[in-house]
Amino acid sequence: MKKRIIGICLAAVLAAAGLVGCGEAQQAAGEASAPAESGAPTTATGTANYIGEDKMAQEPAEGTDFSNLKIGEIESYVINDGGWCQATHESVVAAMNDLGIPEENLIVLESIGEDQASTEAAADELINAGCNLILGTSTGYASFLSPIAAEHPDVIFAQWGNKTDNLVGYDIRSYEGMFLAGYASELMSQAENTELGFAASMNEFSVRTAINAYALGAKYANPEATVKVASIESWYDPDKESQAAQSLIDAGIKYMGMEASSPAVPETCEANDAFVVGYHNDMSVLAPEAVIVSHTWNFAPIFKNIMIQTAEGTATPDDFYYWGGECSKLTDFAAFVPEDVVAAVTDLKAQMDAGDVDIFAGPLNDNTGNTLVSEGATMADEDIIQQNFFVENVQTTWKAGE
Amino acid sequence: MRKRFRVVKRTDVSIGRRIFNPILFVLLALLFCGIFLAALGFNPFTVYGKMLKTICTPGGITRSIQAGLPLMFTGLAVAFGYRMNLNNIGGDGQYALGAILCVGFALYGPEMPAVPKIIVMFLCAMAGGAIAALIAAIPKALWNVSETILTMMLNYVFLYVLNYLMYGPWKELNQMVAQTRVIPEKYWLPDIGNTGVNSILIIVILMAVALYFFHKKTTKGFQMEVIRRSPRAAQYSGMSLAKNILLVLGVSGAIAGLAGFAQVTSIIHRVQADLPNNAGYTGIVIAFLAALNPLVVLIVGFLFGALQISAVAVQVTGVPSQVATMIQGSIMLFVIAGEFFIRYRIVKVKDTQTEGPPASGPPDPDIIKEPALTVEKGGEQA
Repeated sequence: MKKRIIGICLAAVLAAAGLVGCGEAQQAAGEASAPAESGAPTTATGTANYIGEDKMAQEPAEGTDFSNLKIGEIESYVINDGGWCQATHESVVAAMNDLGIPEENLIVLESIGEDQASTEAAADELINAGCNLILGTSTGYASFLSPIAAEHPDVIFAQWGNKTDNLVGYDIRSYEGMFLAGYASELMSQAENTELGFAASMNEFSVRTAINAYALGAKYANPEATVKVASIESWYDPDKESQAAQSLIDAGIKYMGMEASSPAVPETCEANDAFVVGYHNDMSVLAPEAVIVSHTWNFAPIFKNIMIQTAEGTATPDDFYYWGGECSKLTDFAAFVPEDVVAAVTDLKAQMDAGDVDIFAGPLNDNTGNTLVSEGATMADEDIIQQNFFVENVQTTWKAGE
Repeated sequence: MRKRFRVVKRTDVSIGRRIFNPILFVLLALLFCGIFLAALGFNPFTVYGKMLKTICTPGGITRSIQAGLPLMFTGLAVAFGYRMNLNNIGGDGQYALGAILCVGFALYGPEMPAVPKIIVMFLCAMAGGAIAALIAAIPKALWNVSETILTMMLNYVFLYVLNYLMYGPWKELNQMVAQTRVIPEKYWLPDIGNTGVNSILIIVILMAVALYFFHKKTTKGFQMEVIRRSPRAAQYSGMSLAKNILLVLGVSGAIAGLAGFAQVTSIIHRVQADLPNNAGYTGIVIAFLAALNPLVVLIVGFLFGALQISAVAVQVTGVPSQVATMIQGSIMLFVIAGEFFIRYRIVKVKDTQTEGPPASGPPDPDIIKEPALTVEKGGEQA
């Protein structure tokens, strides 16, 4: 009898738990669809000490001693991944070379999971090894590095992405390069009068930034230009990336942008006589007949500045970098790109450098008909960083985040 | 007369063999990697010394526990299911759904005092895991659909649900990371004294002890053992396979779901995209290495946590991450391969004229003995 009771009890607990769980799920889902009511938002640039782009050319003061500057770099994957990690690592090395810091002053920790135990272990090791500048190069580290940085005021932590408490924040105005890329694509496409495509990995802020800037660049060349998004729904999946590119090509699209990790999109384009703008790093080596130009991440000027400030003792955890120009770079155009297109893009870049082009200027609507920026106004940096929208000439089934 | 080797199953395994066999194979793995390290120009002793030093600091132990906690829950879950020959490969999905319901209740549920709220969060996590597992258990119980395939495929479903919520409606406002916001601090489980170890450790230990006695002392535990060894015999003695399948997979899923509770209340206090990070699959290895013993699962889970932490430390000595991962993998593979020698031994036999099985071979322990069943019948009638 006793055993029966145990069995019944177990079943009852399970059933009760199941009922509670169902109710909770519905309730949670119901509330989630409403705009989140609490959770104090932290401003991106509001309280931070924004370091302007005029500091890009800054050189260290005479006699600054870099021999004691020891740098720790935390990477989510290996530094020769041909993508994000490689771009950041090469930027670190370039900045160090620029300042004459010997390579033994750099410790790289690769494949560090974006979980608390791994991040803390990595930070601990680097602090124990005497690092006084630690770079968290992937978004997931921010929340775990923040309390560690508070405990170690003598170490400067720099973190990619949004400004997080206790961490120097750095990000790149990647929309500048992608704007030029979209402009170039549309100039080339116009002759054939087709819409543009975009193979995009995930519905996430950095991807939306790339899509929007590409679409705005295309619109700058031709007010009628539209960009159709093929979603991949994975950060790294060569098969799906290839399928996304193929689906765009099958829909009659010949020119596309991309925000995907592997060279699958360029390779698919090359096999189908289509063209693409590479992303993350120079993708022309992998598909020389298809890659018009590539957008690359160049963190070197930012890292150089952070290193100088750390060595001189002027860096503070409130610093925030959000730089474009040299940081948001395009590679050289492929040989097949017509000279007049290259000339037009070069000309547009000169205008942007002179401050004559405001990419997110009004009037600007999103693709659901809401006004993002009204006539005569410009978008604030906080909204540019966040990009919780798709601009009006983007065609996608994705809905932008809250 | 030729000499031949024959693999013979061991009839009984001593405790000493159970303990020393894995240690021997860890040492063999280190020797194997040592050759590699030396060939690459690193001093293996420096590297291993660094690994050991990192793990043996108080911080290292705390972090090993922290990294090992979700693995302990998924390990317990797999071990529980396997006690009745049910392969629960769905630890990741159950973990994910448990975490979703738990954090959903914490963030969007009604305001409550801390203790009842945490209890409901606990039940939510269990319910999430159980629901995820029962979706696979019902077809298994009714139509004998393979639970291995079902639980594994469901992982994708629940991970996509999790990632949808993290990249979409539940994403923290004005942050770029695909994660929820942190749950209010009053709902966090406290640390044990000032050790830096969270009290969730006590929960997992209690749970392992409870499971241990469940298998040893209760009729249900015994029924599971009977069904594992011979489902047919169990059915003859009046046990319902379908009910037991639902119960065991449900409980197994509920335990895996608690990994989500551990994350939300004790470790990261929120949920992020891809949170399970293959813990469900690692749980299979842990359960296997622990020989399905819940208490040993805790120890193996801790060691896996330590292994994960040490891979970071090794890189500081200049060893590339690929080699650090290789050391991790080698230790795992060697220990798993070494399991073979716990269960079997290789004997040298003289070739006799006929092939046939050895005359005095060990009895096959997979054959269930009649007395066991009669005991069970008596138990049910009592």
